[in-house]
Amino acid sequence: MTIAHIQGEEYTIEYEPSSHTVAFRGTVRLQSSDEYAPITELLQTAHSEANTTGQLTLDFRQLQFLNSSGISMISKFVISGRKQDRVPLRVMGNQEIYWQQKSLANLQKLWPKVVIEIL
Amino acid sequence: MTNTVVTYGYWEELEAVPSLGHYSMSLDAHHLVQFWRRCSLSSNFWSRYMALWVPTPPAPGHLRREAMEHLLSYLLNELFENCAKFSGGPFQRINYAAWIQAEGMVFELTNQIVPAAQAPFATLIEELLTSDLDELYFQRLEASAESNASGSGLGYLTLMKDYGIRFGFRFSPLTSESITVGVQAHVALKEL
Ligand SMILES: Nc1ncnc2c1ncn2[C@@H]1O[C@H](COP(=O)(O)OP(=O)(O)OP(=O)(O)O)[C@@H](O)[C@H]1O
Ligand SMILES: [Mg+2]
Repeated sequence: MTIAHIQGEEYTIEYEPSSHTVAFRGTVRLQSSDEYAPITELLQTAHSEANTTGQLTLDFRQLQFLNSSGISMISKFVISGRKQDRVPLRVMGNQEIYWQQKSLANLQKLWPKVVIEIL
Repeated sequence: MTNTVVTYGYWEELEAVPSLGHYSMSLDAHHLVQFWRRCSLSSNFWSRYMALWVPTPPAPGHLRREAMEHLLSYLLNELFENCAKFSGGPFQRINYAAWIQAEGMVFELTNQIVPAAQAPFATLIEELLTSDLDELYFQRLEASAESNASGSGLGYLTLMKDYGIRFGFRFSPLTSESITVGVQAHVALKEL
């Protein structure tokens, strides 16, 4: 069985295999890239399970805060997705959350196949 | 060891500048490391506190209060995290200070490092202050994706590139074993 859920003190990260979506909620401000490793693993699992004809969705609409180490982790995941070029990525953001307005577009610059929907 | 104070970037002598309000707080770096959430907690408190200086609605062309609160929380969390991660040597004191001015806010965080840590940090600062930020940002990410290196090195870059925050840095020798690092972040009330 794949791990589908990471529960932290101030956040949850949930992988829903049926819709190929990983949803982030709360505040993710972990201390080091080691602490981010389980999240990367979850993302890689979701990526490997997505159909090549479909897409993988990262849902950030309820992610209030992410620190720069977290931005780095997500960016590296996007770069690895680009290198494998197996499944396109969709990123869902929230217009009301300021960091997303400011920083999510960087992901598309890393890989033009990233589709960003800020609602 | 050098006895001189070295300053980089946008540094202001804030005691000499008129301000509408001044705040400060003193912390122990070990205590932030011990409970990492203290970084986030401190940044959330001060971001909410300081954002109340922004009237609703804001002056034309200025950031809205909620946006300012968000920006400050991201900024201060990065600065507290850096103080927690990179303090070194016999002294572990962190000082937080903030000033509200007519056109912006200034935050100054200080921590101590061992003298040997000054040169590599200074090299990095010079790179940040002289490079094309967009280029440096993507270059860093591609390089760290290759190397699997642990430190991500995106903190100041995101703050400068995505939020237009201006930084100043200062190294002041404290004892033969310790140097005080000051980081000043200048945040404009205007939306950039
Ligand atoms: N307060 C500080 N005292 C000593 N060294 C510092 C301090 N702040 C930053 N540095 C040095 O500057 C580097 C860059 O800092 P920056 O915040 O940009 O990245 P990071 O902390 O390594 O990673 P990230 O912030 O993305 O998690 C750090 O790796 C560290 O070597
Ligand atoms: Mg940092």
